[in-house]
Formats: sequence, C-alpha cells, structure tokens
Amino acid sequence: MARNPLKDQLAVVGIGSTPYGRDLQRSHLSLGLEAAIAAIRDAGIGKNEIDGICGSGMTPLAQGGSGFLSLQGALGIDEITWGKNSWLGSCFVYAAEAVFSGLSDMCLVVQTYVRDPGMSRSAHADPFRRNLTKFGDIGGDIGGSDFAKRWVHSVEPYAGWMRRYMHDYGVNKDAFAYLAVNSRSHGARNPAAVMQQPITLDDYHASRQIWEPMQMLDMDVPVDCAEAFVITTAERAADMPNKPVLVHAMSLGGTRVGEFYENSLPWDKNAFWVALNGLWARSELKLADIDLFFPYDGYTIDGVGVTEAAGYCGPGECGLFFKDNWDAARQVLRLNGKTEVMTHGGGLGMGRAGGANYFSEAVRQMRGTVGARQIRQVPEAALIAIGSFFHDPCAVVLRT
Amino acid sequence: MKNYGPIDDFTVIELYPDVQVNRDNAEYYRGLAERKLLINHCADCGTWIYPHRPICPECWSWNVKAEEVSGLGSVFMWTTLMQQRSPSAPHEPVPVAAVDFAEQKGLRYLSRIVNCAPENIYHDMPVRLTWIEIGNLEWPAFEPIPGARNPN
Repeated sequence: MARNPLKDQLAVVGIGSTPYGRDLQRSHLSLGLEAAIAAIRDAGIGKNEIDGICGSGMTPLAQGGSGFLSLQGALGIDEITWGKNSWLGSCFVYAAEAVFSGLSDMCLVVQTYVRDPGMSRSAHADPFRRNLTKFGDIGGDIGGSDFAKRWVHSVEPYAGWMRRYMHDYGVNKDAFAYLAVNSRSHGARNPAAVMQQPITLDDYHASRQIWEPMQMLDMDVPVDCAEAFVITTAERAADMPNKPVLVHAMSLGGTRVGEFYENSLPWDKNAFWVALNGLWARSELKLADIDLFFPYDGYTIDGVGVTEAAGYCGPGECGLFFKDNWDAARQVLRLNGKTEVMTHGGGLGMGRAGGANYFSEAVRQMRGTVGARQIRQVPEAALIAIGSFFHDPCAVVLRT
Repeated sequence: MKNYGPIDDFTVIELYPDVQVNRDNAEYYRGLAERKLLINHCADCGTWIYPHRPICPECWSWNVKAEEVSGLGSVFMWTTLMQQRSPSAPHEPVPVAAVDFAEQKGLRYLSRIVNCAPENIYHDMPVRLTWIEIGNLEWPAFEPIPGARNPN
C-alpha cells in the first residue's frame, strides 16, 4: 500500500451544471459562471466563503475563457488563497489537494466546454467559435507545417491505438460498440442529455469513419456546457446541508512517453494503468465495492482502456467482458451483477464535458436525488477515471 | 530538388515560420532543409533520442549529437485521416503512421505513408524514407519497400 493520508478527509458539498446544448451561443465564461453560481448555491454558502478556485484550461492568464482569474473577478469573490487552472479529471484532484494541504478550505472547480469549430461544418460557420480557436490555450507549438509534430498532444493516435489494440489482441470492435450503446441508452433516459435517441449495436457499426478505424459514434458529442463543484473538508461538510460525498482515494498518472504521442508504450503500460494502479495502492475500497463506474469516454478506446486498467478484466478482454455483462433488456452494461456504468450518458450521450459531468452525476446518484434515473439502491461508492493514455489521467474513488 | 546551401540559424527559422525552432531542435530542421533526417544520438551510451532533447534519458549525458538515420523502419500504428482539422477544407484521406526506426526498438517517428493505398498498409509493414514536396519545402515521408513483406 502507498500512503493515503487524505482518506475520507475531503468532501464534495456543492454541484452545479448548466443546460447542455449543441449551440447555446454563449461564451466559456458565461457558462462557467452559471455553473459556479449553481454549485455555490447548492452548497448553501456565501460566495466569500470560497477561498480557492480551479478554473478551466491550462494557462493561468487565459483571457476570454473561464480561468480562475476571470471567474474570481466576474463572481466578485474578494480573496482567495489558492488558484489554478486545469482540465479533465486532474482539475478535481488539484482542488482536493489544495483543500487537503490547507491552502484552501472551500474550493470551487469550474469546467467549461464549447463546441469547437473543428468539430463540424456548422460549428465552423460560427464566427465566434472560429475566433475562439485563435486564442486557444493549449500552449506552444503543435506542429504547424511539420507533420512529424502532428501527434504532439494530438487526438489522432487514439485511432491508431484502436487498430493496434484489435490487432494485438485479435479482437473486433465489440468493446467499443457496447460502451457507445450503453451511454446512449442512459442518455435517452436523462432529460439533460443532448443525445436523446438510443442507438443499437448496428447503428454504431454503421456510423461514419472519421479517423479510420475510429467512427463518429466512438467520439464524445461536442456541446456547450459547464460543470462546477465545491470541495471542502469532511469536517466542515458534516455541518452543511447536503449529504457529503467523500473523497476516499485519488491518483494521477504519467509515463515517460513525453509529449510526442507516437512514442506510445505497450497498451497495458499506458498512463491509465499507472493511475489506476496508483489508486488501488491507496484505496481501501476495492473494485468489488464500486456501485457506479465512470470510465472516460472521450473516445470509446479510452473507456476500454480504463475498464481494463481498473481490473474488471485483463488486457484485450473488454469485449468479452462487456458481452457477458450486458443487460439486453435495458441495453446497458451492468458489471458483475452490480455496477452501473455512465448512468447519465457520459460524454457519448449527455455531452462532452471532459468528464466533469461524471463527478456531478456520481454526487447526485450518491445523494439519491436523480429521480427516475436513480439506480436501484442509492450507490455508496463510485469509481471515476478520466484523462488520456498520455497525459494526466486521474482516478478517484468517491464514497458516502 | 531544393538546395539551400549552408543553412544558418536565421535561415532555418525563416524556412519554418510556423514551427517553434529552438536551440534544442535547430539541427533537426537544418537537416530537413538539407534533405537529411537527423535524430539525436548519445555519443556516450549510443541511445537514439527522439524527440529532440538536450540530454540522453538513459545515461543523462549532455553529449548528444544529431545524426542521420538509415530511413528504414516499420509501421507501428497508423490511422487514415478522413476529415481535416478544419472541416470545411477540401481533403483527400491522409494516411498517417508512427514508424518504428530500425536503429532502435521504440525509436518512433510520425510521418505520412506515400506510394501505398491506405487499405494496403498493415502493422509492422517495412517502410523506407522518401521525400515529398509540400509548400515549397521537402518533407520526410515513408513508402513500402518493394518486395519486402513482413511475415506478420
């Protein structure tokens, strides 16, 4: 076991989500502010109780976006003692770290997503969306004319990995298809989800090729949305209005691949395995305790990697595992007769939020407040793993 | 074929205006301008180092020099880009591959596959370096080696 001094010491006490839409015609900041206000109100606190902010993006001085400086100014929060920007699941881990360290006592996390002009012709036709990319905050140079740099922080190698995965393990696309159908079935039951129509396995296979062999239905749905959370100590959470959801264990993960992603390691050595191994080395709750599972679904290949790295099955076995754990009546996954997967529809069904909506869904399910979508028994433990094979994956166990 | 003659630092930066040419990668770009594919090599322990780093990750030697590679390798993984990053831009499907160089296991370089239909690319396919002209510059690309077929 590794050290886990933060075990059950931190709690999510506030959550806020905007509506999700394909074209909400709003800025990052506008969406982020709506989610932030909702999360602060949900926590039942005044704004000046917030003393730490984790904003969206990777550059601290981002302008026009929803970085912590803009959020603090726009929300009129007088003073903070911790501020940082981040994305994907690491934003949650950083904020929890800040509270555990004492640099913040009540930390706001805001994550915003806006449909990128590269995602579709209609998005590309929107001058505001095009303008946004001119001021993108990825940082530095991702290649320009030098094709050899094309996979510096690129999404295309995931397509290469889908094919390599099928080749190395002699499998077909079943694992990807089950994950896609699962999310859309759940999304169809979630009024907040952008994709309200369920799909069949055949629909999955018939969808358009984007980066062969990756298809349209392997990719999360680009939307305009924001999510926000408030994290504090378990001690303070005990006196607050909502049922606290505790952070039981967390891990990040990194490998020596660096930023040129063609330098991939073998499948079962990628950063998801590092993060999940790091998590299980710290968590007293184990896989058998998990009621809710949120494997990152930016691409279905991510979710397959997370499922295998979490230990549900061995490398290359995910297709068979999903087939054996398929609830045909509901067209969803139910793992080992117990664990529900991506109950809100995830990125593939509800919409792309870099995984931030996994946290809000987990918290709502664990509070028991999702109405008709509530899974049969109010869940007590959730496993969330978000990120990339290559950079800052996070793995978190939440519990009540 | 372009011949730029001796390429000084100012010229190499001018030739690649949309690439961040810096002191760690300038020899690589100077090499490209001279139609040579150069990869950093540790003069102390012999490790090939890519991308262009100033130290050897194995022995931490700073005695690292950009050297020409054989241009022989095999396809580790690939995808065919059916859609460009700007969806409105006209495009042909572009096969893009991570090529494992013969010099060292895991020494891998991203490039286009040319002179080969996308459907004929396969994992571990033997390939060799060639050059293609794009935007008035010559760039590395890889093509199948005639007659060579990996038994896999």
